[in-house]
Amino acid sequence: MRWTLSENRFKCLSVLFLVIAIWGCVGLLGSNVMAASIMKIGMKEEPKTLNIWLANDRWSLRILSLIYQPLYYRDPKTLDQVPWLAEALPIYDPATLSYTVKLRPAKWSDGSELTSEDVAFTGNLIKAFKVPRRNAYWKFIEKIETPDRRTVKFYLKQPMAVFLERTLATPIVQKKEWVKVAEEAKGKEKPLASLLQHKVEKPVGSGPYAIKERREGAYLYMEKNKYFFGAGKTIAGQDLGPYIDGIIFKYYGTSDAAVLGLKKGSIDMYWWGIEAGYLEDLKKEKDIQLFSNERSALYYMGFNVRKPPFNDPNLRRAIATLVDKDFIITRILQGHGIKMISIIPPGNRFYHCPDLPTYGDGLSREERVRKAYDILRNAGYDWKVPPVDRSGKVVKGEEVRLPSGQPMEKFMILTPPADYDPARAMSGMIIQEWLKEAGMPASSKPMAFKSLVEQVSVRHDFDAFILGYGRLSLDPDYLRSFFHSSQDKQRGGNKTGYTNPDFDRIADASSRMMDPEKRRELIWDMQKIVMQDVPYVPLYNPNLIEAVRKDKFTGWVQMLEGIGNLWSFCQVKAK
Amino acid sequence: MRIWIPGSGIKRDTTKGMAEEKPQRRRIHWIANFQEGWSIYKQNILGRIGLVLLVIFALMALSSFIPPLIDPMYHPMTGVDPVISSSTGPSLKHWLGTDFMGRDILSQLLAGARIAFMVGVSAAFMSIFLGTAIGMISGYMGKFVDTFLMRLAEVIMVMPTLLVTLILAALFGQLSIWAIVLVIALFRWPGVSRVIRAQTLSLKQRPFIEAAKVAGASHFRIIFRHIMPNVLPLSFLYMTFRVTSAITIEAALAFLGFGDPSTVSWGMMLQWVWKTGHMFKAPYWLLPPGICISLITLSFYMLGRAMDEVLDPRLRREG
Amino acid sequence: MDLWRYISRRLVQIVIIFFVILTVLFMVFRLAPGDPITRMVDPDMTPEDAALLISQLGLDQPLHVQYLYYVKNFFVGNFGDSFHYGQPVLDIIKHRLPNTILLFTTSIILSALVGVFLGKIASWHKGKKIDSGMTIGALVTHTLFLPWLALLLIWIFAYKLGWFPITGMVSEDIWLDPTSGLWQKALDVGHHLVLPLGTLFLFHFGSYLLIMRSSMLETLKEDYILTARAKGLTEKVIRNRHAAPNAALPVVTTVGLSLAFSINGGALTETVFTWPGIGRELVFSVSQNDYPLAQATFLLITLVVLISNLVVDVLYAYLDPRIRY
Repeated sequence: MRWTLSENRFKCLSVLFLVIAIWGCVGLLGSNVMAASIMKIGMKEEPKTLNIWLANDRWSLRILSLIYQPLYYRDPKTLDQVPWLAEALPIYDPATLSYTVKLRPAKWSDGSELTSEDVAFTGNLIKAFKVPRRNAYWKFIEKIETPDRRTVKFYLKQPMAVFLERTLATPIVQKKEWVKVAEEAKGKEKPLASLLQHKVEKPVGSGPYAIKERREGAYLYMEKNKYFFGAGKTIAGQDLGPYIDGIIFKYYGTSDAAVLGLKKGSIDMYWWGIEAGYLEDLKKEKDIQLFSNERSALYYMGFNVRKPPFNDPNLRRAIATLVDKDFIITRILQGHGIKMISIIPPGNRFYHCPDLPTYGDGLSREERVRKAYDILRNAGYDWKVPPVDRSGKVVKGEEVRLPSGQPMEKFMILTPPADYDPARAMSGMIIQEWLKEAGMPASSKPMAFKSLVEQVSVRHDFDAFILGYGRLSLDPDYLRSFFHSSQDKQRGGNKTGYTNPDFDRIADASSRMMDPEKRRELIWDMQKIVMQDVPYVPLYNPNLIEAVRKDKFTGWVQMLEGIGNLWSFCQVKAK
Repeated sequence: MRIWIPGSGIKRDTTKGMAEEKPQRRRIHWIANFQEGWSIYKQNILGRIGLVLLVIFALMALSSFIPPLIDPMYHPMTGVDPVISSSTGPSLKHWLGTDFMGRDILSQLLAGARIAFMVGVSAAFMSIFLGTAIGMISGYMGKFVDTFLMRLAEVIMVMPTLLVTLILAALFGQLSIWAIVLVIALFRWPGVSRVIRAQTLSLKQRPFIEAAKVAGASHFRIIFRHIMPNVLPLSFLYMTFRVTSAITIEAALAFLGFGDPSTVSWGMMLQWVWKTGHMFKAPYWLLPPGICISLITLSFYMLGRAMDEVLDPRLRREG
Repeated sequence: MDLWRYISRRLVQIVIIFFVILTVLFMVFRLAPGDPITRMVDPDMTPEDAALLISQLGLDQPLHVQYLYYVKNFFVGNFGDSFHYGQPVLDIIKHRLPNTILLFTTSIILSALVGVFLGKIASWHKGKKIDSGMTIGALVTHTLFLPWLALLLIWIFAYKLGWFPITGMVSEDIWLDPTSGLWQKALDVGHHLVLPLGTLFLFHFGSYLLIMRSSMLETLKEDYILTARAKGLTEKVIRNRHAAPNAALPVVTTVGLSLAFSINGGALTETVFTWPGIGRELVFSVSQNDYPLAQATFLLITLVVLISNLVVDVLYAYLDPRIRY
């Protein structure tokens, strides 16, 4: 056999190289053939699904939030409930334990009318299939009636505060789109799996936009929904559009590429928090505007109170005193955050309790050590070398001893890895140093995030950890799930193992209390108890900084959790 | 796998040029062999460069213990500069600058050298040990044992090591650095075992083995006292390649985020610079770890190539 | 015929090996410590939700029952549904596979061609500066750390010079525009292809160059070359028509045998460039604990390696009459 590696081949290769060079140049030309009124938004990752029941990642939920709409939304400034698909606030009838909701006139994106049938269907579907994450807010609904096309009546089995806050915030789906899918799924061996795995290409929604085209791995194109019920209306003082023709979502695997895209103008908004490292750079760009908003989040240090040494609240209080939250905010977060003194963020003005013990807040390092030393000494702890010596000077403590006389055993503070969340990893390191100076054998260990969660939530095999809740709902029912004794189980919400019968009693009462003022009092009491016993030491709540280009579009609305909210998307317009 | 097959083709006898030896003169022969090998090696410029580079890296690894002793802020993992808490360029205090948390990059680089040697040498050593043992046993025993072991080798070789380690890392939640070393070793022995097996097969026919058998030596003795010494030089040659692949795999794992988060390796440094968005802004952070990984790979490679010339006279440059 | 028997024997071997890997994979996934079941389920779910999901996904059945389902499904072509996407794994693979094939084949072909060509030249000028230059160059590029090389190329060519896009495979501008033709779309993909292709090319051509070079040197010593010279043929003809084709054979072998290694590199490249291919999907699915997808992509990759090994062996046996099994 003969091959001819002749001169021809060389020529072929040179042609190949030339072609590649030309391709490179083509890129420089670029082409912007899209109409001016289409916004381009960068996302960090691709939405994994358009099936609302399966979606649990924020990207899918964000896209779907522009499509499926809830009965009630929130005012951007006051966070009060605002009727959205509903026409007015729900009317309560204590005699029948029922709520009546009247709907606005609205249409689905396929032109058909949105009726009470759709609402009832949504609720019944969730109940029948026990859809994960949503069923918890529907299972106490006894039945749903539809007296007429515009009215829905919910009958509750018992009063549940979460009804107003969570159930009425559920996105409503179209009966026509899902009824056949549900029928088929019910007949299968595994109905829920079948429902979750139904592939949705073009969801029919009642929101401001609808999916036009989707290319997996590349982009998602949404067009203005001409049947959007809010078009031209003024709700909560906001004049709704949408005023643009469509949105293209692009996926960037890393923030680098996205920020570059923002600077170059390939995207108009990046729907993700901008890390501190980029801010200097972006502030200098004249076409870029930065928004800073609070998050409804909590990043905290948790203890395993089921076993020594952290079953002693005095030790926990001492540690809470030693943690210098101001340092964390200024050095680790570079000033972009607020310190947390309660489990509930201060942005949640209604439920946040302002009057709580502050431990080491505002004290200098020496004062902290002294205070912690006092707490521990009064509780029976001793040291080989106390952190405060006989003359009252603060020194480096060594080998703290438990009241039983035994030296404290080494313990680990588990944190996520540095690249996953530098703030948490660094907080762990700094706290380790602070505790060591007081004589405690602390060591901070970064570990893979999923393993960390598993060890803490499932196996309960840990001493202390630093984790966070990135999105706390406005409804404070999570307080109950974090600290109620019944939630101390595998994968339960109670990670620390905290058990307090008083707390349990008040928490149970709060979940049934429908009167907001009375409920607030109960929630405040719960916070006081928790901050007295500190199974969690709340650390910080990072600010959310987002960047947009201001040369093409304007009209972003700031709200808790950022500018990526329905108000913004209904009001942005081309300049 | 990177193959440096002397010559080409599948069936090649690699034993041409290997000195035959008599057991009783073994020790003296070894020294003489070594000296001869060294003089050949010295002539190879690549080998010299490789050796120099390796010495530099070894010095780096050894000196990695020094910075934290000077000042706790130089600790690669937990040492934060009291003043700087973001990524800054090279300065008097920090010769290579700081990373996004204010940690000294040079200390991280030195610690990375230590990890590289540790991972590279341990994984290579383990896989060579396994590969040589299995190759010898397989070649010597033949028949069922041979087929079984070689099929096993094929199954393992077919799976891309990096991807396998990825999957294991996901399953076990998190692999400590030693677990990673073990997995690399377990998946890298097949390459070496094949070559050793071929070597063993040809050695098996040699008269001195026959003589040993006639003298009543047990199989075990034959394998380890007669075959092994002849096979070892080849093992060592392959060890240099295994070191590079071990270092590269650990670096790639760390880079993808599946490494041990509590060790500072070069791959981990690259992951940090990539994931924290400093890729475009901090060349003093991006360049050093990558250069180090590439250079250490290059130097082991050059070392291996020079050793290859020592072992296989056919490759020596004429004249 | 000899060859057919050889092929069939190898095929049987491959099937057995594949089956072994299939089983091992299953066992590893199910028996790993730390209760892998819990990792398949979202840690934020309530225990009730999780229990329901686990039973729905069939993860609570006894091991041997799961295994039987697993094998049966596999041969039927049902690889299960991805936990992450909620879609059949087969669909996801179908969408990603062509992208990987595009990147992979172009890079292998390009690096093999260039490597062979340059290796041939290097061997001609053995000992001279060109030779040393090429050899050193090949050594250096071959030992660069691949992800780092990718990052460097992105930094220089995409960020600083702006010639090429930083990530991805397509620009939505062009693909969404109804007026763009096939040619424009192809050009767009090509534009995105250059950097990942460049990375893989730079990394691989070195080894082909070095192998071709030493192989040429070997071949030029063979007897039949001597005969050709005696016959009076010019050096150029001898090198190109007689020596080079034979010398190129080991490169063919190397391409096939080092496929497992190149796949590692491919996965890394796809991840850094966010190229939507199989390699990246595997890395991603592993980090999401999406076991069906991770398993299926891994098996697919292994299958590809096995088949290519077979192809290389057969090709070699066919092309080189001296070797027959």
